[in-house]
Amino acid sequence: MLFNQSEMNQTIIKVENISKYYHLGTMGARSFKQDMKRFFTGKGPDLSTLDQDNSRDHIWALRQIEFEVAQGEVLGFIGRNGAGKSTLLKIISRITLPTTGIIRGNGRIASLLEVGTGFHGELTGRENIYLNGHILGMKKKEIDKKFEEIVDFSGVEQFIDTPVKRYSSGMYVRLAFAVAAHLEPEILIVDEVLAVGDAEFQSKCIGKMKEASLQKGKTILFVSHNMEAQRNLCQRVIALNRGRIMDIGKPEAVIAGYLRSESSQYLQQLFESPDEAPGNDTIRMRRVQLIPGYRNQSGVIDIRTPLEIQFECWFHTDNDSDLMVSIQLYSAAGDCIFETVSPKKRFGNGLIEGVCHIPGHFLNDGSYYVSIAFMKNFATRLYCFESCLSFDVEDYRENSDWYGKWNGQVRPDFPVVLHGPETSEI
Amino acid sequence: METKTEWEWEIRPEENWFRLNLTGLWHYKDLLIRLVRRDIIASYQQTILGPAWVFLQPLFTTLVYFIIFNKIANISTDHVPPILFYLPGTLIWTYFSDCFIGVMYTFTQNAYIFNKVYFPRLIVPLSTLLFHSFRLSIQLVLFFIVYLFFLLSYHDVHPSVYILLFPLLVLMVAGFSMGCGLIISVFTARYRDLDNIMQFLLRLFMFAAPIVYPASIIPEKFRWFIWLNPLTPLIETFRTIFFTGGRIHTGYLLISFISTGLILLVGLLLFKKHEIKIMDVV
Repeated sequence: MLFNQSEMNQTIIKVENISKYYHLGTMGARSFKQDMKRFFTGKGPDLSTLDQDNSRDHIWALRQIEFEVAQGEVLGFIGRNGAGKSTLLKIISRITLPTTGIIRGNGRIASLLEVGTGFHGELTGRENIYLNGHILGMKKKEIDKKFEEIVDFSGVEQFIDTPVKRYSSGMYVRLAFAVAAHLEPEILIVDEVLAVGDAEFQSKCIGKMKEASLQKGKTILFVSHNMEAQRNLCQRVIALNRGRIMDIGKPEAVIAGYLRSESSQYLQQLFESPDEAPGNDTIRMRRVQLIPGYRNQSGVIDIRTPLEIQFECWFHTDNDSDLMVSIQLYSAAGDCIFETVSPKKRFGNGLIEGVCHIPGHFLNDGSYYVSIAFMKNFATRLYCFESCLSFDVEDYRENSDWYGKWNGQVRPDFPVVLHGPETSEI
Repeated sequence: METKTEWEWEIRPEENWFRLNLTGLWHYKDLLIRLVRRDIIASYQQTILGPAWVFLQPLFTTLVYFIIFNKIANISTDHVPPILFYLPGTLIWTYFSDCFIGVMYTFTQNAYIFNKVYFPRLIVPLSTLLFHSFRLSIQLVLFFIVYLFFLLSYHDVHPSVYILLFPLLVLMVAGFSMGCGLIISVFTARYRDLDNIMQFLLRLFMFAAPIVYPASIIPEKFRWFIWLNPLTPLIETFRTIFFTGGRIHTGYLLISFISTGLILLVGLLLFKKHEIKIMDVV
């Protein structure tokens, strides 16, 4: 059953002038004093700071957000970490209140900011299905009716009367998602829950959400870093940046614009003194740099260009300590292309340099970014310098009649050799 | 684009005072029952004696009180057999303090849920209250067994007709602990110092109520002070209607009733007003 156009067009949520202020810093005697002041003067945060950058003691996580959601629409939200996506969903879900503005809506909301909220390890799978279902707003009758279906979907029938603390993490997530997938609110809010599962699980989730919106006319608000999922599911996408709406519209256009704004090439970062360098007490970055081995004078990185990643950091430990460095390369969509790890080595205090070569004829064309993680061992991460470099790889083709996008995340030059009766004429 | 003028819900920067949203609460009654069930099941997992602990706890406490306060300190029990005298005080005090502490930690202990899903937060303290009420009702069975034994074998026990007040007494303890707990919960969420202060005050408060002594041993001059504690008339009336059969202090009982009602009301309003906003600072 498909919903007709007039029903699709009805506004189901109206968001007006939503801003959210967060006070930073620790709670202590000083904040007590401020609380008292606020209590007696009745003053909220200073709204005149809304247009300024975030400062040391406060941030505006959202700034004057306005949009409407139509009945039956799937609306996606993209933006880098800290852009305000999750805060916005939290406000619409009533987990936190806005500082200014008003949101009005119709219909019951269920929010899925996490799967398995409220699961209790000591309880059996059966008990947890009910507990979690009720927390998400389902009534007992609803769950009774769908119980078999939920268990089927989860694929853990055998263990349904075992306490969930004995479950493997995969079983746990499947059971948790099975409950969530059978929610039937008018409005569903989903935040990054896809991130927890494997590929099969993800496609199952997306299928379920498509079904909910197309066949049942549910409205879905959806945050994900997975651009493919966004393109696939959403009718409209909102790109957020630093708490503001940058762009709103058809997924293809908004996502492309977002990726373009994100993929500004960032080939080096240099910090002269440890005071201003990113890092922590153990690791302070001095320099990260990407050096392309250009073949010609064009200065463009293409698929043939070998790349060299260099980095320097100040290392500080109380006693000599092991250090490993892991370099991760991500596509612009956030998929990890590879992670490569240095051997473990013992170092004293001082400047540490590292280098990693990525050969030419390896990456496909596209935008990439690099994160560098410093670890003591595989279990202890000291510091991660995220998205510290980003670059674009341009396409280059010889002897090819194909002009479309080459498939695959990597594009190694593994020769394919053919044998057969040859003719010398063309 | 067609727009509706009527909206089913709206979200504003401030919650309204005086809007308890009882229909919203009713929608989640299944959750309430399930949470009580969870607490009951979880509390006996991986224990050998299991539910028996519900009985053993007050029994041991009563025994310890009997030895320390009666045998060693020689504090009067108003001619009531000591075991019988201490038992109701122990039960009511345990009920009060368990409920109070449970409700007080509503935000801090459920932050992981409150940060992910919305439902009327009042469901959680209510479930705490119901869980401890369930334990109390089992313990009361124990009390009645002991009581019947003394009633049939011991001539100095005189029940009175006011025994019918008994359910009201339990309700008032529940209301008082819930009210205090709700008020404190809002403040502990923000200032953790209160945890320590409260644990300490609670211990003192136990001696400000006639649990291990009868109110009659307090000098006349200060007696009114002890009686203003909402718990005092409740415990004393409990003992009167079951053991001594004397007259009950209607005036103090009324004061206790009114102050409990007020505290509960303030607690509910304060909790409702802050239930969502508070999560920014937990």
